[in-house]
Amino acid sequence: MDQKRWERIQEVFHYALEMSDPDRRAVLESLAREDADLASEVQSLLDEDARTSLIDRDISSVASDVVATSESQDILSQQQFGAYRIIRMLGEGGMGVVYLAERSDLETKAAIKILRDAWLSPARRERFLSEQKTLAHLEHPLIARLYDSGTLPDGTPWFVMEHVEGTPVTEYCKANASGIRERLTLFRSICEAVQFAHNNLVVHRDLKPSNILVRADGSVKLLDFGISKQLHADGDVREQTRTAVRMMTPAYAAPEQIRGEPIGLHTDVYSLGVVLYEMLVGRLPFDLSGHSPADAERVLLEREPEKPSSAARRMATVSAGAAHAGSISGSSWTDLDVLCLTAMHKEPERRYRTVDALVRDVDHFLRQEPLEARGDSARYRLGKFTRRNRARLSAAALVIVSVIGLSIFYTVRLTEARNAALAEAARAGQLQRFTLNLLQGGDEFVGPADSLRVISLIDRGVQEARSLSNDPTMQAQLFETLGSIYLQLGKLDQADTLLKLSLSARQAIHGREHSDIAQNLVGLGMVKNARAEYDSAQALVARGLAMSKRLLPPGHPAIARASAQLGQVLQESGDYDAAIAVLDSGVRLQTVSSVATPELSATLTELANVHFYKGNYAVSDTLNRRVLEIDRRIYGPRHPSVANDLINLGAIQFEFGKFTEAERYYREALAITRPWYGDNHPSTAANLTMLGRALVSQQRLDEGASVLQEAVAINERAFGPVHPRVASALNELGRVAQQQGRLDEAETNFRRMEQIYRTVHKNKHYVIGVAMSNIGGVMKERKRYADAARLFEDVLQLYKTELTPDHQLVGIARVRYAEILLLQKRYVDAEREASAGHTIIGKQPSPPAVWMDRARQALVSIYDSTGRTELAMPYKGALAAKK
Amino acid sequence: MASRSAKNPPQTAAANYSSFPVPQPLLDELFTAAYEELRRLAGAISRHDPAATLSPTALVNEAWMKLAKSPPFSVASPLHFRSIAARAMRQVLVDAARRRQASRRGSEVAFVTFDDGAEHSLAAARDVLALNEALDELNRLNPRQATMIEARFFGGLDTAEIAGLLGISEATVLRDWRAARAWLAREIRKA
Repeated sequence: MDQKRWERIQEVFHYALEMSDPDRRAVLESLAREDADLASEVQSLLDEDARTSLIDRDISSVASDVVATSESQDILSQQQFGAYRIIRMLGEGGMGVVYLAERSDLETKAAIKILRDAWLSPARRERFLSEQKTLAHLEHPLIARLYDSGTLPDGTPWFVMEHVEGTPVTEYCKANASGIRERLTLFRSICEAVQFAHNNLVVHRDLKPSNILVRADGSVKLLDFGISKQLHADGDVREQTRTAVRMMTPAYAAPEQIRGEPIGLHTDVYSLGVVLYEMLVGRLPFDLSGHSPADAERVLLEREPEKPSSAARRMATVSAGAAHAGSISGSSWTDLDVLCLTAMHKEPERRYRTVDALVRDVDHFLRQEPLEARGDSARYRLGKFTRRNRARLSAAALVIVSVIGLSIFYTVRLTEARNAALAEAARAGQLQRFTLNLLQGGDEFVGPADSLRVISLIDRGVQEARSLSNDPTMQAQLFETLGSIYLQLGKLDQADTLLKLSLSARQAIHGREHSDIAQNLVGLGMVKNARAEYDSAQALVARGLAMSKRLLPPGHPAIARASAQLGQVLQESGDYDAAIAVLDSGVRLQTVSSVATPELSATLTELANVHFYKGNYAVSDTLNRRVLEIDRRIYGPRHPSVANDLINLGAIQFEFGKFTEAERYYREALAITRPWYGDNHPSTAANLTMLGRALVSQQRLDEGASVLQEAVAINERAFGPVHPRVASALNELGRVAQQQGRLDEAETNFRRMEQIYRTVHKNKHYVIGVAMSNIGGVMKERKRYADAARLFEDVLQLYKTELTPDHQLVGIARVRYAEILLLQKRYVDAEREASAGHTIIGKQPSPPAVWMDRARQALVSIYDSTGRTELAMPYKGALAAKK
Repeated sequence: MASRSAKNPPQTAAANYSSFPVPQPLLDELFTAAYEELRRLAGAISRHDPAATLSPTALVNEAWMKLAKSPPFSVASPLHFRSIAARAMRQVLVDAARRRQASRRGSEVAFVTFDDGAEHSLAAARDVLALNEALDELNRLNPRQATMIEARFFGGLDTAEIAGLLGISEATVLRDWRAARAWLAREIRKA
């Protein structure tokens, strides 16, 4: 049946309904002679009209029939889970049911966990599966392996994992009456496993003793990594997160989990703190028995736990579980109190920043060294200032925000951490810039818009910093941090102001020379560099570098960073040879110790970039491979830095014209970028765009187009339909469509691109001209020369106000205009434009060969058509010489 | 040319509501969130009290109250939400019906007979699945009618609300409803 037929059926149906029975019968009988099908169709509908049907039932009664009948678990025993088959139930927990299963072919046992209340909508199942792949790669002796996972036909997720026989760690400690060192050593190995997972971007989210088993041989095994994530709707549907938390064990849930705020590494740190508390004291920090869920939440959010030391002493009198308590000295207890309560601090920014930091303090404790967590009143004050911003911030869970958040929260006391955070921001920014340069041909206008929320956060930070005038040291450091962030975001005026404030504050404190002052000089130099004032940039950075070298031991990270930055300045100023010299010596300095550091990686990356720009692709390739190896070692295999390296390697292959190799690198990078940033992040889109270009260059146009379309869709979601990134992706798509001869689609894409640029730049930016030129190209193919000519006239008019007359784009537009004029046989105009274009393009530092040739070709055609073949000769010669 | 297919993206969950002032990706997100919330609520109710009557209006209200506060939902009006929830409810019931059927297949080994309740429930499951398929077909023939049935049957919207939602008169709603209802009833019976 088609739509017309259905219309017709309805017409007759309604017509018949109006009639009395006998009339109706007569009408249908006569209709049957013409169109028997129609008549019987209408008759059957009339019959139904008089009967009741499912549709008339109340949906609630239907629903209770279908849903509310008790569902037998026995169906599961018939179900095959990958290669595994259920044997019997092992237990039932808050999140779901666990079964013992067997893989019949290998006769190996496994545990199957089936999550309850976690039906995934069809839309989310795919993402679930891709996340599970990440978990399946989590191989560590202390982490239970995930073998397989999937969803039941109705979307209920299941997991097959290593079957571990063991005792929950808290029970183990009690049963063995473990001593304090033993307990902390156990705890340390738990942390080690969590740390490994964190390095692989997996947050556990539901750490508790029942997930931490100690086996008969005394080794620890952690279960259920990343699984509770499936209870969460990612993104910002907070209520769902809260719901999920209620299904978890609230006693170990961090306050931010209970409040439905963003979850991160700090969430696991909290849970580890609670586990440690229980291991030390023999009971949980809060007694939640007899509380309603709402009361329990309030207790967890509001009450401070009793110090482990005093809780343990009280417990020791009633329970053998804390018998070890007596053997601990008073000062040890003070340290344990700090360690434990720092880990489980209610405010994430006052906890150990990473599990790594927690482990360091555990080690300090075991070696009887002072803890890093002690005596941090300055950090506390800083914490207070950031907390106020945090509430407003929490919705923006963008990576960049958390990076910047980190750098504000933790840096003032911990310079190293600040530097690491900044390096992280720099790396993120670098990746973005590198990819954007590829996308946009180096236009800077794309940077700030998506960072607006960050900017306003930093703006508030500056206000707070200004009020800290009673602590000039801290204020100076804060100014420097904020200034560096502004620099990353391209807000150069603010960066300059703050770095200068920081500098003069430090000069007032330290006099002329100090390693912090050296750092300020380098920072100010980088601002100049961003402004393309290379001479003063070079002078400042060189001064800072020299000062660092005088004051700091050789091989100090600050020296390494400064020389990398000097290299960057030299590179951007175009002095590639000097840049290479500086960076080479920087690399030599750093490789003395043969330790791979982030600084070495950054210096080598910079060196690789210089060689890339210089056209030494082979050298750049070698260097990038080395960086890749280092970064994999430092950051693990699935870190954005590694993706960045892969992208750089891909760009080199792209330059070589080896598009299949480029594609391979881009895909490898994408395998990191996508899970790290998610499906809806601009970085994913940027990576996709590069992949799309590599595919298009292989003439795999359909594949390329669909990849590019995904990039457009992501950018549209991330930035809204009107954003330069969307426009640049549309540009690529338009070109593909044009190559495939789909001119309508090409034109639509280019027109949208034009509209976006017009809106964003308020009709004033040369990129509008680029879009219009592309439309002109489509018009030319359609042989609508008059339209095309008008477009190029407008383009040149726009360029007059937006570009210098000898800009390469002006040259290109004039050549393209000349080509149209030639087709219109307007030879005088064509000659004027072609020769002007030819001259402009020829004056460029490295004239693009394609456009030189097109200019020559146009001139040849013009002179030949007007019978002045002798004038065409030199151009013909140049064209022939090329071949 | 193969690339044509790329120009026609697969129909998405909320495609019928294109008249809403909400962009498509957001609609999909709304649908997903509504679906999962409804599933959770339905599951919780069925587990804690098997005899409890499952009122979709109550479910939808509870879901709305939970979800309304989250950012993506702040753009949708309650009426929009209910129409999206209707689609989600349809999916929830279809999934439940599929599970019913699967459980029948799976347990044939274990049980020889079914009690009346189980038979009854199986018939309902069969009907729901048949309705689901017929609705897909109706959506091809007349998307407006499909939307209408969905909103009324699965979402409990009344005539006036549907008229408002679709921007048509109540008389048109009633007329469309009557024909679509008869056709669907016939299709379910045939199945």
